[in-house]
Amino acid sequence: MTTQPDIDALIRKTRQYEFVDGLRDLQMAAIMALLGAFAWFSLTLAGMHWYVQLILYLKDTFGSWARWINGLVYLLILFAVLGGSLWIMRVVRRKWLWRESGWVKPVRWQVPRRITVLSAVIMLGGVVLGLILLSTGKVDKSFVLRMLWTATGWGFGYTLIGMGREIGLRRYIWLGANGGLASTILLFLPLTFGQTAIVLNGAWALALGISGVIVLHRASTAIRQANHG
Amino acid sequence: MADEYKQITNFDRLIHEPSRLAIMAVLSACESADFTFLLNATGLSKGNLSAHLSKLRDAGYVNITKGFKGNYPHTTCALTKDGRRAFDAYRKQYLALAQHLKK
Repeated sequence: MTTQPDIDALIRKTRQYEFVDGLRDLQMAAIMALLGAFAWFSLTLAGMHWYVQLILYLKDTFGSWARWINGLVYLLILFAVLGGSLWIMRVVRRKWLWRESGWVKPVRWQVPRRITVLSAVIMLGGVVLGLILLSTGKVDKSFVLRMLWTATGWGFGYTLIGMGREIGLRRYIWLGANGGLASTILLFLPLTFGQTAIVLNGAWALALGISGVIVLHRASTAIRQANHG
Repeated sequence: MADEYKQITNFDRLIHEPSRLAIMAVLSACESADFTFLLNATGLSKGNLSAHLSKLRDAGYVNITKGFKGNYPHTTCALTKDGRRAFDAYRKQYLALAQHLKK
């Protein structure tokens, strides 16, 4: 090597490596699907006899701690899915996707702090806007509850846009912008709080899942072609 | 012009060498990378990469961990704190000079 290398291109390519096989998209899709499933469970199970029995048993046994224990189960499932998906990603990459191209341990925080902070501000801003509209009497309480999820959609969309710009991946910018805008539609649908959660998380899971499958397909085709010369 | 010469002579010569600069740039963008990834990313030969990594390790810029993945030897490289600091300083200097020359 005699000429100076393009430092920015090397840095960008290394940072993109974590995302060019689509597994991160699929992982995010799995988590979104799980959050949607939690909302669905909360809506449907609440009326089921065995679930009511379980909650009553927990309340009798643990008293006021029962609510926390119930929440802890959700949290444990979430961590199990997160840990499980990371393990699957590691195995798939080691045995297949990264076998020839090498292994990289990415930086822990791919999204810069300013983007995370702004995303939180967007979420809070949405909620505050809902509350202001409620106080002026222009909207009802259900609007504010739906606004919670819409603002979450805006915040997540902004995080994806920021990540896409930071790493130089246009699909995240596209997904973030369209997902964020689509979240706004939820405000005008006649849905309850729980139904809105299912629709929002389900839609994000679907979009990220499709994106992940397309990118994974491209990556596997490239690997097959490379292996066959 | 003298100012620019002064800036160029102030560059960290160890990092300024193109192959080592490429290695440092790749490692700066991740926590660690293995030998195979560095080979593919920099386009260097195995011998060249090995020699440059040794120089960077001797300077305290890179940590090299040798182990096994299954039955195969596996070498992982990561920037040390000093290495990261030196690369950041180099990059700042380089960008400042580039801006200065543009003017």
